[in-house]
Amino acid sequence: MEVQILIALQICVVVAIYAAFRVVFEKNTLRKLPFLNVVSFAVSGIIVLIIPQPLALLAAGAYLIGTALGSNAIASTLAGDEEG
Amino acid sequence: MLCVTVDLFFRLPEDGIVSGATAIGNAIEKGGGDISGGYLMGNIVSSPDASAGTLLAACGVTVAGIPGGLFAALLIYIGSRVCCDKGYAGTSGAVIATFIIFLSGFIGFQGIDFIVGVVLSILLIQGIWHPFSSRLIERIWRYRF
Repeated sequence: MEVQILIALQICVVVAIYAAFRVVFEKNTLRKLPFLNVVSFAVSGIIVLIIPQPLALLAAGAYLIGTALGSNAIASTLAGDEEG
Repeated sequence: MLCVTVDLFFRLPEDGIVSGATAIGNAIEKGGGDISGGYLMGNIVSSPDASAGTLLAACGVTVAGIPGGLFAALLIYIGSRVCCDKGYAGTSGAVIATFIIFLSGFIGFQGIDFIVGVVLSILLIQGIWHPFSSRLIERIWRYRF
């Protein structure tokens, strides 16, 4: 069981670091956002895997929803600029 | 840990479009992808829908059983309402995922496997190469119709 959590944690960390590098090296801002979404999914998975308690679920949910709200705001603002 | 296909299967039936999702879809199409797959990817990015619901439900079932999964569904509903979405897709996805994950605990798949599966599938969809993945989504989407 412990080994399984460790393997899952390693996979999530590798995915998060890879997606963070893709965010840095992508030029277009709107095409950065999917990579940022990968980072936020992996990090909220890491939060729950490190701290397996019910309050960590609240923390992971708040982090995931907060990053989704931020991406939504950025994309909506850029869309408004393109239209206007 | 090969539940990537499961997650990918029941994240697909949704294409409610938020305004920011349209912009991301246009950007992906301009980079050489397909437009409806781009819309769905933008929709995954800009509001917590069924993929985020699957992830949080897997976390909830891992830490607290079925009440944890339903609490995750409540979180997803609040987040979807904040992001100007209707919130039906994410909430129903989280509730369905809660029961699927709890039942598949009896045949050997645990919640940890589902967390890793969702992270890997979101990497497959959003993180490798956008033109290929958007065409893949579009092909599966048309096959479902």
